[in-house]
Amino acid sequence: MTQWERFLDTFFKWDVIVQYLPAIGRGFVVTCELAVLVVICGISLGLILALIRSYQIKIINFFIICLVDILRSLPPLVLILLFYFGLPNVGLNFSGFMVVILVLSFVLGAFAEEIFWAGITSIHKGQWEASRSTGLGYSQTLVYVILPQAIRMTIPPLTNRTIAITKNTALGMVVGVGEILNQATIAQSFSSNASPLMMGAIAYVLLFVPIVYLGRRIETRFAWKKN
Amino acid sequence: MDANSGIILQVTDLHKSFGNLKVLKGVDLSLKKSELVFILGPSGSGKSTFLRCCNRLEEAHRGTITFNNINILDAGTDINKYRRQIGMVFQSFNLYPHLSAERNVMLALRKVLSLSKADAHDIALKQLDRVGLLDKAESLPAQLSGGQQQRVAIARALALDPQIMLFDEPTSALDPELVGDVLNVMKDLKDNGMTMLVVSHEMSFVRAAADRIIFMENGYIVEQGPPEKLFENPEHQRTRDFLRQIEH
Repeated sequence: MTQWERFLDTFFKWDVIVQYLPAIGRGFVVTCELAVLVVICGISLGLILALIRSYQIKIINFFIICLVDILRSLPPLVLILLFYFGLPNVGLNFSGFMVVILVLSFVLGAFAEEIFWAGITSIHKGQWEASRSTGLGYSQTLVYVILPQAIRMTIPPLTNRTIAITKNTALGMVVGVGEILNQATIAQSFSSNASPLMMGAIAYVLLFVPIVYLGRRIETRFAWKKN
Repeated sequence: MDANSGIILQVTDLHKSFGNLKVLKGVDLSLKKSELVFILGPSGSGKSTFLRCCNRLEEAHRGTITFNNINILDAGTDINKYRRQIGMVFQSFNLYPHLSAERNVMLALRKVLSLSKADAHDIALKQLDRVGLLDKAESLPAQLSGGQQQRVAIARALALDPQIMLFDEPTSALDPELVGDVLNVMKDLKDNGMTMLVVSHEMSFVRAAADRIIFMENGYIVEQGPPEKLFENPEHQRTRDFLRQIEH
C-alpha cells in the first residue's frame, strides 16, 4: 500500500462514506437547525439588550453588564453541562437540543450585545442632536438614525463572532444531540475508520463557508462612504 | 400669541454650568419676530451653549425661555413639540450619512409630523430647491461638498416650517469658497422674514445682515445693539478689544 492509498483508506474510504452518508446528512440538518436558531435568537437577544442598555437606566444596565460579562467569560461547554445536568434538579428538563440552543443563544447574545453597544456608542453625538433638534424622540432617533448606522459598523465583528459561537454547536455531542460531530464520531467508532470525521469536517465547511461569504456580501452592500 | 410686542423668544436669567464650570451666568434676551440677531464673543464665552439651551439640547439650570408665551424649560413641557418649531443648524452639518439628501429632509416630516411619503417627498424637494440643491436630492451626504451638506441641513430644518432658526457657527467648518452659498441661503431667509439667532464670525456678513448684535463674554451678555453702534462705537472696552482682534 502506497502512502497515498493509505491516506485515502484512512480519510476517504468509499464504502464507509456511502454507508454513513445518511447519518452525517441527518447530523448536517440538525446542525443547520441549531445554527439558524442560535443565530436568530442570539443576535435578537444581543440587539434587545443593547437597546435596553442605551436607555441608561443604572440598575438595569448593571444587571445587563454583569450577565454579559459572566456569559462572555464562561466556556460554553461549562454552561451546557451546567444546564443539562443541573437544571433537572430544579425541575427544568430541557432536551440536549434545547440546552445547546439556550446556552449558545445566551453566549452569542452577550457578545452581540457588546458589539451592538460599541456600535451605538461610536455614533457621533451630533447625529443624536440633529435628530432630536427636529423633534424626533429618543426612541425614534435610536431606531431611525443611530441603529442603521451602528448596525452597518457591527457587521464585520458580528459575523466573526457569530461564526465562532455557532461552531460550538459541535458541543451538542456531549449532551447527545445528533448533530454533525456526534454522528461522525458514532460512525467513526462503528467503522473504525476516520472517513466519517472527514465527512463531518467537510459538512462544517459546507455549512460555514456560505455564512462567511454572506457576511462579506452584507458588509460590502451596506458599506457607504463616510465623511 | 403676544401680537403686540411681537416677541417670539424671551430668555430671562439663564444659568448653566458644566460641573463646577459656570458657562452662563444670567443671560437675558428677547427676540422679535423676523429679527436677525448675531451672537459674537470669544471662544468659551458661552455663546454656543446659550444657543443650545434655546432648544434644550443643553438643559439650563435656572431661568426661563419663553417661546410664544410658553416656558419651554418647564418640566411638564413636551420639548419635542417645540423643537420642530425651533430649527437648528450645526457647525458640523450632522446630516444622516446613511440617508440621501431628500431622505435627510423627509425623516422628521414622516416621523414627527406623520406626513405621507408623497407629501414629505414634495416638501423635501421644495426645500432642497429653495437652497439650490434640487439636483442633489438623491445624493448621499458623502457625495456632497461641505457647503452643499450645510444647505441640505438648512433645508432639513426649514422643512418643518419653524418659527425660529438657530445657527451654531454654520460656516466655520467650510472652505472659504463655499461659505458664500450658505450665507446666500441665510440672506434669503432673512428676506423672507425668518427669525434667526446666529453664532457666527463672518464679520462682513454680520455687519451687512444683522438687525442686532450681542457680544458675550464669560457667561454674560456684555453689550448689545445694532451693528453700526457695536462696530463703530462700542460702549465697553472688552467689546472694542474683541472686535479689533477679530478684524485685525
